Amino acid sequence: MTVEPFIGLSALLFAIGAIGVLVRRNAIVVFMCVELMLNACNLSFVTFARAHGNLDGQVAAFFVMVVAAAEVVVGLAIIVSIFRTRRSASVDDASLLKL
Amino acid sequence: MSAVSVQAIVGAAPSPIEAPDVDYATISPLLIILGAAVLGVLVEAFVPRAYRFVTQIAVAVVGVVAAFVATVVVGAGLDTVDGEVTGRGGPTAMGSLSVDGPAVVTWAMLLFFGLLGVLLFAERRLDGGLSAFTSQASTPPGSADERHATRLRIEHSEVFPLAMFALGGMMFFASANDLLGMFVALEVLSLPLYLMCGLARRRRLLSQEAAMKYFLLGAFSSAFFLYGIAMVYGYAGSFGLAEISTAVSSQIGGQNLLLAGMALILVGLLFKVAAVPFHAWTPDVYQGAPTPVTAFMAAGTKAAAFVAMLRIFFVAFGGARWDWAPAVWAIAIITMLFGAIASIAQTDVKRMLAYSSIAHAGFLLVGMAGLTSGDGVTSVSAVLFYLVAYGAAAIGAFAVVTLVRDAGGETTHLGRWAGLGKESPVLAVAFTIFLLSFAGIPLTGGFISKWSVFAAAWDGGAWPLVVVGVVASALALFFYIRVVVLLFFAPPQGDGPTVAVPSPLTWSVVAITVAVTIVLGVLPGPLLDLVQQAGAFVR
Amino acid sequence: MTEYTPVLVLAAISGAFAVFSVLIAPLTGPKRYNRAKVDSYECGIEPTPQAAGGGRVPVKYFITAMLFIVFDVEIIFLYPFAVEFDLLGWFGIVEMLLFIATVFVAYVYVWRRGGLEWD
Repeated sequence: MTVEPFIGLSALLFAIGAIGVLVRRNAIVVFMCVELMLNACNLSFVTFARAHGNLDGQVAAFFVMVVAAAEVVVGLAIIVSIFRTRRSASVDDASLLKL
Repeated sequence: MSAVSVQAIVGAAPSPIEAPDVDYATISPLLIILGAAVLGVLVEAFVPRAYRFVTQIAVAVVGVVAAFVATVVVGAGLDTVDGEVTGRGGPTAMGSLSVDGPAVVTWAMLLFFGLLGVLLFAERRLDGGLSAFTSQASTPPGSADERHATRLRIEHSEVFPLAMFALGGMMFFASANDLLGMFVALEVLSLPLYLMCGLARRRRLLSQEAAMKYFLLGAFSSAFFLYGIAMVYGYAGSFGLAEISTAVSSQIGGQNLLLAGMALILVGLLFKVAAVPFHAWTPDVYQGAPTPVTAFMAAGTKAAAFVAMLRIFFVAFGGARWDWAPAVWAIAIITMLFGAIASIAQTDVKRMLAYSSIAHAGFLLVGMAGLTSGDGVTSVSAVLFYLVAYGAAAIGAFAVVTLVRDAGGETTHLGRWAGLGKESPVLAVAFTIFLLSFAGIPLTGGFISKWSVFAAAWDGGAWPLVVVGVVASALALFFYIRVVVLLFFAPPQGDGPTVAVPSPLTWSVVAITVAVTIVLGVLPGPLLDLVQQAGAFVR
Repeated sequence: MTEYTPVLVLAAISGAFAVFSVLIAPLTGPKRYNRAKVDSYECGIEPTPQAAGGGRVPVKYFITAMLFIVFDVEIIFLYPFAVEFDLLGWFGIVEMLLFIATVFVAYVYVWRRGGLEWD
């Protein structure tokens, strides 16, 4: 099996996610981009697991999915609480802590 | 479906999997802390509200103390391992944890910080009988619902189980022996901290904003860390630090994967230790988070993340040290200089302490860049000593911040602190001692710790870093002295700062941290011996 | 081909059960129609053209969704265990019971603190 196309795709997804985090302004969308990055990692894990012929990478993908779910719950709780206060989920509006 | 038909599908009959050998006694400190956290969740569910806060304090304190005792027992029973370098203890639980000398010392250190943190969380005399945490995090700040909850004296006693989970994650992070365990530990320590940052009773808008910034940037950086893990796994075919080390020294496979993986892992960890250029979150989060949480986080996260970083880079990537050392050098230099220079411009006490924490990350990186092992001051022992001294002083300094108040809660503007020496000489002297320790003045723990990281770096040939470090220390000293002058000699603004009268909880935290800071400066021998006997990491 | 026989048998049984259930329900069940029963199905709530308050959905849905996600995904660890439970022996069973007990602690917390109450 050639690994390169899968790793290339995963790197592309990771880059899309990273750029999204940097340029998007809605906290929910920023967070979705982070999730995209985590899933790009998962793609790498299962690809390398296949290439190396061991199961470690697949197990890692399970753990990453669970951690990502926990992160969703914590993150959305924070974002929703801030939205209820400010009626906005834009990361630009959150600027009280600027120097 | 019966087992027979499953085997018919699979083909050959598989042999039973051997049950893993887990030495529960060795990992008992970790199990006790996580058990205390789970028990705390049950307390939250079943104990009536009137007794909840007190019960939670009891569970947390008993858990931390029991785990500390267990850590001492485990530490005393570690076998000495003779290898290339002397070490103590070794991997346990199928190689997923390495309970070695540095790990046990870090556990003890983290539990000490955790106990001080719990004491600060438990303080209720400062704000009219209410804790520093909001009545109900789900209500918008300033709403009628929030006032109603405050009137009913509802409190978020969940901070105690959250702190225990974070503490368990930190301990796991410092002792994990494979990269996947490290990722899980990183999240277990981070997620509760994200939540705790947003729970301040006063200035909740700032607190929520800090939580969101910390969360988004933290999740971003852990994605980098994870992608780095994926790359290293692709290179070595395993998550175990020992297997990766073997692969690195035998130079199998494509070096590009290894280089990419090391760089990404370094980014994720440098974010957690707040090194420049990954420090942007630090001032905002330290300022916005409830001050007891800031104290716990500043000391604990830095300690856990630094030990984990040393473990990954010394154990797994030790064979590729000439690839990563230049990056650590560069980051150490800019972190020290930036932290020192930026703290001069600060007008807020908590932001100032945040920039000081950034500068200290730089000094710790100097110790790491020395790469010294063997006899005398090693990189690992120097960093461990530094973490104890810095953590104690940081917790003490933030404990003082909780006490200087006005009508709106804590008053953190530096100008409002003018004349604190007249208002409360004891507190001003304590804060001065912490600042002098941050600056590295002799007879404080900060001096010995700076000396030991510089010595480790010098022995390792990293003398340019030592020179920059001394320059940065001198810059920072100028600023700290300015603050001390402000505390004692500047005329107070208006009616000056008021100092709240805390319960013995906060007083004891301030007293303990002052004592540790001075003892480490005057009598550093015992701790220096301890961190040196801890030896190197064992894989 | 023989190794696929159990799969085919299982598929046939489940297919037959599905068809049987659909066919038998209108024949044997009581026929008490009311307005709710002929309405379009929307997760058990009154269907509305737009959520009350201008397109915003009550936060109760958020809590339910979050609880669902976190408990749903935690159970992911049961899958690998279920595939090889007979090879793991008692150690695997004890570990899984511990894991489920921990998840259950979280569930008890949610239940006692009113996370499962709708109003």
